[in-house]
Amino acid sequence: MSSIVELQGVSKTFYRGKESVPVLENLSLEVPEGAYEAFMGPSGSGKSTLLNLIAGLDKPTSGSAKVAGSELSQMSDGQLARFRSQKIGFVFQSYNLLPVLTALENVELPLLLTSLSGSDRKKRSQTALRIVGLEERMDHYPRQLSGGQEQRVAIARAIVNDPTILVCDEPTGDLDRKAADEILALLEKLNKEFKKTILMVTHDPAAAERAGIIRKLNKGQLQ
Amino acid sequence: MTLLEVAAKNALRNKFRTTMTILGGAVAVLAFVLIRTIIVAWNKGVDYAAKDRLATRDKVSMVISLPKHYIDDVRTKIPGVKAASYLSWAGAKWPKDPNVFFANMAADENVFDLYPEMEISPDAIERWHHDKQGAIVGAALAHKLGWKVGDKVVLAGSIYPGDWQYTIDGIYGAPPQTALDQSSFFFHWSYLNDGVKAGMKDKIGWIVTRVDDPSKSAAVTAAIDKLFDDQDTQTTTMSEHAMNQGFLGGASAILAALGIVSIIIMVIMMLILGNTIAMAVRERTSEYGVLRALGFQPGHVRLFVIGEALTVSLLAGLVGLGLSYPFIEFGMGRWLEENMGNFFPAVHVSPVTAATAFAATLVLGGLASLLPAIQAGRLQVTDALRRIA
Amino acid sequence: MIPIAYNLRNLRARKTTTAAAALGLALVVFVFATARMLTHGIDKAMHQASDPSVAIVLRKGASAELESGIEVPKISIIGTAPGVAAFPNGRQQVVGELVAVVLLDKVGVEGGFSNAQVRGISDDSIAFRPTVKIIEGRAATPGTDEVVIGRAIRGRFKGLELDATFDLSKNRPMKVVGIFADGGSAYESEIWADVDRVRATFGRGTIVSSVRVRLDSPAAFDGFAAALDANRQLDVSAMREETFLLKSSQGTSIFLSAMGFMIAFFFSIGAMIGAMITMHATIAQRQREIGTLRALGFTRFQVLTSFLFESILLSLIGGAIGAAASLLMSTQEISTMNWATFAEIVFKFEPSVGIIVSAMVAAALMGILGGFWPAIRAARINPVQAMRGA
Repeated sequence: MSSIVELQGVSKTFYRGKESVPVLENLSLEVPEGAYEAFMGPSGSGKSTLLNLIAGLDKPTSGSAKVAGSELSQMSDGQLARFRSQKIGFVFQSYNLLPVLTALENVELPLLLTSLSGSDRKKRSQTALRIVGLEERMDHYPRQLSGGQEQRVAIARAIVNDPTILVCDEPTGDLDRKAADEILALLEKLNKEFKKTILMVTHDPAAAERAGIIRKLNKGQLQ
Repeated sequence: MTLLEVAAKNALRNKFRTTMTILGGAVAVLAFVLIRTIIVAWNKGVDYAAKDRLATRDKVSMVISLPKHYIDDVRTKIPGVKAASYLSWAGAKWPKDPNVFFANMAADENVFDLYPEMEISPDAIERWHHDKQGAIVGAALAHKLGWKVGDKVVLAGSIYPGDWQYTIDGIYGAPPQTALDQSSFFFHWSYLNDGVKAGMKDKIGWIVTRVDDPSKSAAVTAAIDKLFDDQDTQTTTMSEHAMNQGFLGGASAILAALGIVSIIIMVIMMLILGNTIAMAVRERTSEYGVLRALGFQPGHVRLFVIGEALTVSLLAGLVGLGLSYPFIEFGMGRWLEENMGNFFPAVHVSPVTAATAFAATLVLGGLASLLPAIQAGRLQVTDALRRIA
Repeated sequence: MIPIAYNLRNLRARKTTTAAAALGLALVVFVFATARMLTHGIDKAMHQASDPSVAIVLRKGASAELESGIEVPKISIIGTAPGVAAFPNGRQQVVGELVAVVLLDKVGVEGGFSNAQVRGISDDSIAFRPTVKIIEGRAATPGTDEVVIGRAIRGRFKGLELDATFDLSKNRPMKVVGIFADGGSAYESEIWADVDRVRATFGRGTIVSSVRVRLDSPAAFDGFAAALDANRQLDVSAMREETFLLKSSQGTSIFLSAMGFMIAFFFSIGAMIGAMITMHATIAQRQREIGTLRALGFTRFQVLTSFLFESILLSLIGGAIGAAASLLMSTQEISTMNWATFAEIVFKFEPSVGIIVSAMVAAALMGILGGFWPAIRAARINPVQAMRGA
């Protein structure tokens, strides 16, 4: 199986005025296509930074990062934005749905960046909602949904563009046990049935267990 | 669904703040339209002048009268004159309310030939010609003082003291939106002349002339003044437009000040709007982060912010205009026309004023949102997201 | 009490918002204060020109000097009425003056012209008005074509400068030999010429427009006026000069006051809305803080007053800026048409402590009204929910 993520000698340093804060140091990583991997570690270990780099939200200070066939370290901000819209799906801890839009409209949001017609966009969004099991709630606003339901809409939004990789930052962090389990089951389905590569940062051992591989980070290094 | 639609919906998120901002903007628009309408109405009165009418008055001062025989000279000795008449300011007052100001003028028989734009029935003029004490008054004045055709009224003289009795023989009007003053009171000069003391007889206030060919006005103007130049009483003749400007232009400084105030109002509106948008941007950083994460470019985010600002501006402009029209058309406009009719003969919201107000609202709204929009676009995605995680 | 430093630091922390709101309020206060300074300037100009012991006599039925005419022989008769004071030399303090307007070209406005007020004065006129001082040049010689002009009108029309001339009638130029000042009164917008000269020019026969007398005391007015009234042949009526000037400026004053009121009304609404939005937003942002304050034991009332105070503080900052800016206006003069005399009259923007104070009070009031509801909402915040970060 080919690697969907190839990081080589990646370092990331943040600058605060004159002070430099190295977060990742000389990190190398290979993730095969279709993998389901969890990243764990104490706070400050750099796991979110690592995820951001893979997702194209940030660029490495040095080293090479090849994701889904693109060399991210050479890309401009505009190119990275396009990369994200085509190849990456995001799931956040606090869902981050737009409160003024219905569930359907929230899912439709990433499709505005494509050249699809209005009716095509709606069709795709409905399909995505069906996959996550919330089709009958498509006209509800986020405030009318429970936490678990909001996260499912967020997942629908993440897959509507048919991305290669799903990047999840503490997806179960704000949910109770029951809802968390539902979300994890959904992610598993997406991985096994729809062959989506899933990279997840989590503190939740139950979540980590569902993944195929658990990677531990400490002080910017993979253990 | 488009990004602009989403931006517009965002505006309705914080209902209180958006409503207050729209209200504030609407109030500013209302005030702007009010002030501009007053300025426009004033200028309309000043600019109102027939192209073919000239006014001849004493060169030194308007309080100095001209000898009556000057009218014969103008009629007979000046080429290019279609018709000429004369008027004298009598300044009498309505005893029941001496504070009501109107133009009370003694006139020659043919005076209405000089003002073809006045709407008077020929019967009324006929009646007036046969009634020595007759008067033709303007519709706005008649309405204000409750006069009807056939009423007998008595005015208290000021310059020419005594009680002056009149019969209202007719009421004149003008086509709508015309800036003709409809609060004047015309009566026979012969009636005035009979009633004044010996030293004040046979004097007229000013001469109004209609020329055959407006393009030859300059020549006629020069000819009239030259005719009287070497007499004791010299004249100065000017187009009606120039005379109005000279007369009413004295208030130009105040109007300029009002104009400045109207601009200040719009600036305040812009500040209110800008402040609101800046607050909204601060609150929405995480959302902008999400949009960027999903692949939207900084330009999209900027559009988002500006779109929200324009939505609020649009609504403010509409509400403001919606309030202005009835306020002016049914309230302030009519009051000014009735009570200060000779300075504000026609007060309406001009389409130009409305369009300017609306456009200004949109432009200022867009401007106010520029800085917050640029700042929102510049946000580092990871910073924006970190604020929520 | 929640310490004031809390409010001050918060205002400083949110610099742009504070600045924008304060600027808005500053503009409002500026317009308020300036408009009031204009009406005050008009009042002062009028008031300065009047003396409580002076009565003005016009022909019955006339309300302005321009429409009144009194025959010259009547002047001395009026002077014998009860209550009229005397000069040190024994003469009665009575002056008859002829008022007219003359069309002159304006300076600075191409092709523009306007009416300037001319007052034909008698020999006693300047002595009659002790507040009038010749500040440049000299007094005009009686019976000649010399004139003195008021400080305010100087330079506004062509020919109205020291040693310059302007035409009052054909081939009889009038020479400006002096400039007079009168404490900012309305007289400073006038040209004073010899009364006979003016009479000749305006062909007014032997009349004057008005007669002014100085009474022994303001209380003597009633007796004076009654005596004139009783004399049917005189056909005149008397008014206190103060009343007369008040009525003269009424038209202009009313128009300006109406404009000022309308502007003030809209501006204050705008300012209140601005304050409301700002305070509302700042409270929304500080929810967690407010919850913490309440948890620590501060009462609802203390929270309410604290935020009300912050709103007032914001308004006062804006108000101070606006008031300071309006004081700059006091160096400006503005000319407008006086509808009673049909002549141009020059006014100053006249500041006063009262205006500044009332402008600041108005600012504070707008802060209170605008910030009231947001402050109540702050007080109502549930501490537990707020700290959880709802």
